[in-house]
Amino acid sequence: MIKGVLVFNNTGKPRLTAFYEHLPIAEQQRVIRETFSVVSKRPNSLCNFVEDPSIWGDDCKIIYRHYATLYFVVFADDSESELAVLDLIQVFVESLDRCFENVCELDLIFHYEKAMYVLDEIIMGGMVLETNQQKIAQSLQAQGKIDGDRILSRARV
Amino acid sequence: MFEKSLGDLIKGIRAHKRDEAEYIARCMEEIKTELRTTNPKLKSQAVLKLTYLYMLGYDVSWAAFQFVECMSLPKFSHKRIGYLAASLTFDESTDVILLTTNLLKKELNSPNPFECCLALNTLANIVTEDLARDVVADVLRLTDHSDPTVRKRATLSLFRIFLEFPDALRPSFAAIQERMKEENPSVACAAVNVVCELARKNPKNYLGLAPVFYRILTSSANNWMLIKVMKLVGVLCPLEPRLSKKLVKPVSNIMNNTSAKSLLYESIVTVSNGMMEHEQIVQLALSKLGEFLSAKDQNLRYLALVAIGNFQRTSLALVAPFRSAILSCLDDPDRTIRLRALDIVTGMISQDNLVDIIQLIVNHIRTTDGAFRNTLVEKVVQACCQGTYVHVTDFAWYISVLADLAVVPNNVHGVLIRDELINVAVRVKGVRNVAVATSLRLLGDERLYRAQTEQANACQVLHAAAFICGEFGTAEDIESVTIRSALSHVLRHETAHVLPGSVQAVFVQGALKLSIALAGRNETVAPEGGDADAAP
Repeated sequence: MIKGVLVFNNTGKPRLTAFYEHLPIAEQQRVIRETFSVVSKRPNSLCNFVEDPSIWGDDCKIIYRHYATLYFVVFADDSESELAVLDLIQVFVESLDRCFENVCELDLIFHYEKAMYVLDEIIMGGMVLETNQQKIAQSLQAQGKIDGDRILSRARV
Repeated sequence: MFEKSLGDLIKGIRAHKRDEAEYIARCMEEIKTELRTTNPKLKSQAVLKLTYLYMLGYDVSWAAFQFVECMSLPKFSHKRIGYLAASLTFDESTDVILLTTNLLKKELNSPNPFECCLALNTLANIVTEDLARDVVADVLRLTDHSDPTVRKRATLSLFRIFLEFPDALRPSFAAIQERMKEENPSVACAAVNVVCELARKNPKNYLGLAPVFYRILTSSANNWMLIKVMKLVGVLCPLEPRLSKKLVKPVSNIMNNTSAKSLLYESIVTVSNGMMEHEQIVQLALSKLGEFLSAKDQNLRYLALVAIGNFQRTSLALVAPFRSAILSCLDDPDRTIRLRALDIVTGMISQDNLVDIIQLIVNHIRTTDGAFRNTLVEKVVQACCQGTYVHVTDFAWYISVLADLAVVPNNVHGVLIRDELINVAVRVKGVRNVAVATSLRLLGDERLYRAQTEQANACQVLHAAAFICGEFGTAEDIESVTIRSALSHVLRHETAHVLPGSVQAVFVQGALKLSIALAGRNETVAPEGGDADAAP
């Protein structure tokens, strides 16, 4: 299962947070801070995995990708495959790109709830829901149309 | 009329970098007023702003009831925001969840598939036992909906429902099995996902589904499904040896033919977890593992180390061929990789190779950086004392290692080393003289007296040194000159007075024991240099 998904920038400011395993607010902020502290020290040449039980317990793999000014972090337990999750992060970012046209941090800042709707197409309640780029885009486009949402309805299929 | 939209709020926060907290407090007050409105657009915007503030770390639980109100707004784009807020902020302690039951049931039964999906999504995040009991029938019905996006969501959400309300599992299981056979890959995947998660919790109950898993492993082309099933197989095989025999062929096929590194890796791990009795597939897995270990890709190398750790648990001999590659990983710039390599290396320890391996690690301690150095020190001590020193054959050597570790710069394990020195000296009579000689050396080592900051506490080692000298340095076969030397250290070392009180106390006790010993030998007690008022 996926315990949580975080997106924060190079100074640690959260841009999107989803905790599928509930934590009290103070704990959530601690996890964000400590993860940022560990992950930001790692140059891009190192592997995309961190093991640190002090952040979210023993059964928690921290898998992350760094894109320009944003870190995408997924916390998963033993039932998930590390490499598959790495692919999933890529799918998420691609999907954002299809909605926002060359997505950048500013898009996430001002349309964070749209980014959440995109994530909701991929992960639901901590379980992986859809991994096919096409299907995700189709679903977003359809939702965008009935919602009158300019951004989602533009999703490139 | 002039209410802030979410965009306005965010711009405002960015503009108030210096007084962010006050600005947000003002906005919260505005939002509280806005929530009282009956205008659905304004209400939903207010709720949206609150979810944003929640992400920044502000408590919004006081607005839970308003979130529920928002969920009941007629327009999709408005109620969707309420559902988002609920998904993000509700937890077991949110009592208004009770109020959502009828709301959710209404949505689940809506002819509009988007509304069903909305409800299912939020349900998966907030479901409680009561809610589960009330909606499971509706969700089950939706697993047969005409729209596949609804079917896949309904199927997937069943897992969270079962977690809260296990009684629902038995009557629903047939529906899940139906979904596993579906044409639509997303729905089938969702069903397989649920079954795999359930089976990980209760593997025995799912052995009966082995034929289904066999079918998937031999015929599916969907990597996600294959990965989930492969992982599950690793959990089931140890429980049923006949199963692993049957699966050797499909798993070998996958290992030889897949182009997906993720699937290949999971196959290797599954072999290490559940197929170790089958020579051929183990060899195949190990050869693939070798490719991972020598890959340029850091991720593959890290995963290789994880898998090797698995194999090592069953058989040390199997991982011997990888030894030099693993040892070179101890030098890797990547801390994640170094830690794994260290785990494996200490797992290799036996009586025969303890000295060599510890020497290797100690060499690394000299060349590596601060935080990792402390981890290595701790590992060395743990490795030596595991199984109550089962691997240690020469305690004199162990004491020399401890002495070397004691003087490692910025050492935070002073207490650990102190306790080990005392432990060994007390329990192992034969090395007491060596312990005394070592302690004497340590007492004379300037570095230890200076080593006391908040974290670095190597000075604690002096506690052990003084204790050992006092306790065992007075034995009959110890020469008087040694005793006198020890006494001079504990009495008049120039920097002794900067040591913590507890250490100084041991110094005083030591001085007493040593003086008595000398007096008992009818020798003068005055330490070398005769400085009578040097005692602290």
